[in-house]
Amino acid sequence: MSHVWLPCGLYHQEYTQDHGWWQTPLIKGKMIFLLAIIFIVFPLTLTGYWFGVANMVGYTALGALGVQILIGYAGLITLGHAAFIAVGAYTSTLLILQFPWPNFFINWGLAYPISIIIAGIIAGLWSVLFGLPSAKVKGFYLILTTMAAQFITVDFILTQYISQIGGRGQAFSLPPGTIKIGPWIIDSEIKTYFLMAILLTLCVVIVANLLRSKVGRAWIAIRDNDIAAETLGINIIWYKLLNFFVAGFIAGLAGAFWVSNTAALSPEHFPWFWSLWLVGVILIGGVGSIHGVIFGSIFMVLAMELIQLAVISLGDVFPELMMKFLYIKESVFGLIICAFLIFQPRGISYRWWQIKNYFNLWPFSY
Amino acid sequence: MAVTDEVQLQVKNIYMAFGGVQALMDISLEVKKGEIFSIIGPNGAGKTVLLNCINGLYHPQRGQIYFEGKEISKLKPHHRAEIGISRTFQKIELFKGTSVLDNIRLGRHIHLKSGLISGSIYLGKTAREEIEHRDFIEKEIIDLLEIEHIRDKVVGMLPYGLQKRVELARALALNPKVILLDEPLAGLNLEEVEDMARFILDINEEERWQTTCVLVEHDMGVVMDISHRVMALNFGEKIAEGTPTEIQKNPNVIKAYLGEVEDLYVTRR
Repeated sequence: MSHVWLPCGLYHQEYTQDHGWWQTPLIKGKMIFLLAIIFIVFPLTLTGYWFGVANMVGYTALGALGVQILIGYAGLITLGHAAFIAVGAYTSTLLILQFPWPNFFINWGLAYPISIIIAGIIAGLWSVLFGLPSAKVKGFYLILTTMAAQFITVDFILTQYISQIGGRGQAFSLPPGTIKIGPWIIDSEIKTYFLMAILLTLCVVIVANLLRSKVGRAWIAIRDNDIAAETLGINIIWYKLLNFFVAGFIAGLAGAFWVSNTAALSPEHFPWFWSLWLVGVILIGGVGSIHGVIFGSIFMVLAMELIQLAVISLGDVFPELMMKFLYIKESVFGLIICAFLIFQPRGISYRWWQIKNYFNLWPFSY
Repeated sequence: MAVTDEVQLQVKNIYMAFGGVQALMDISLEVKKGEIFSIIGPNGAGKTVLLNCINGLYHPQRGQIYFEGKEISKLKPHHRAEIGISRTFQKIELFKGTSVLDNIRLGRHIHLKSGLISGSIYLGKTAREEIEHRDFIEKEIIDLLEIEHIRDKVVGMLPYGLQKRVELARALALNPKVILLDEPLAGLNLEEVEDMARFILDINEEERWQTTCVLVEHDMGVVMDISHRVMALNFGEKIAEGTPTEIQKNPNVIKAYLGEVEDLYVTRR
């Protein structure tokens, strides 16, 4: 990330140029093209099913972005991220359903946007709570404390207590019309898609900005060498907790977004396997890279959709497959992870970087 | 810079033991403002442990450390960095995956003000601050240490000598009052040693820096040439302190490095 390849004859003369995001006209063009695809071309061309897929990609990416911040940028290995997504989802839902919003907020459609932000903050703080052990424990042991977050939050607190609020039974469902942003009621997949695209873009921008300023550099320092980081004046514990907060915040946003997609909520949406899945996504996409989050999410979601398609089309011949879809999904997940760790341990994003480098010099590769 | 009489860093009777091993025994020293103070001693004498104690990575069991008159024995390493103690490491402890520039930027950490929210927006304050510090890094540090050509390189890929230099650059970026140099010359070839010695003198003498240096080093030629005062340790005990000429003549130091005459006979039998 540090060094951008500059075409022959293009030089930076100001530090501002060197600190910029889009340093060459080509990169600028590519990024605008990408944004145009996401915000204009996809909404115009995609159909219902593909919006569902895109939303799933976005949801996975939002979740995996938090995991990437923890694992990829601060070296804090987590296996309980679904808990924070769940906290976000429940906070948002409960705020919409239970909070006595003044009519003004309902009419102007402010309840849901406010609940998204509060969900982020609550999930962030909840994440900080379970990040506290990171002050003392590192690496492998931290996995166990974050797993505790998963089981305490989802299997205990949410299932046993939070789900009982309002006497709705295990699953919450949001009545139509309650999820409303400004004048728009989020009731179709295309609207969810826009919400997802905006949230994801914002989160990527925020994380990318953080990574090129003081906070993000401190995280990377802690990841690479915590002793040296401490001697440079970085308060390790503070920055680790800050990291947990940001990761939890994004998880909370992801959870609150997911509510708009399903309009229903139950603790079973956030199993421990989902935490593991998010870690798998960044392993496949590439640890320590924002590109990796996006690539990993796209790859995993598309792979699962393909498997589903294959299973359904084979369903007539082997009805057994349909029954065991969940097992197939999990074993394919395991196989993909193994294959990536062996053949492409640095993930898809590294391959992407290689391809880009190849074409930077193409056709004269010297 | 002329050596002043003002004591900048003082270590008073510190004891440090790891289990049964007494790494430091009743060590006291006074580093005056503006001097190059060297600590020498055979391997395992406790030199690095002493630096780690000053730096805060280890907490001595007994004794106090004072910096500019204030006791800092209980402070955490990052607080000590904030008040102006910076260091390099014997085994290079750089952030290997990031560029040289990012490593040096991390050295500026304590001088940066932007927080979570302003950092995530990266407009106005943060952007301006980043430019200002980039300017500082380029003009003051990269120029001084002659690492212009590698500023965008990934640190882990650089040769050892340059990595040592980047580490010095990072320590210098803190704008420290005292810089602790743990074997800055280890593993360098002659030319690099000369460069590094020149940099240390620059940091110490140039009007702009005038930084007090505490140097742990095995290269006696350089130590004796550039230090104002030298302290010798052996098995955790202070055996001598004085000017380089005094140390060179000190019988205890010669004994520690070469052994007793009888020992020589025994080993050469």
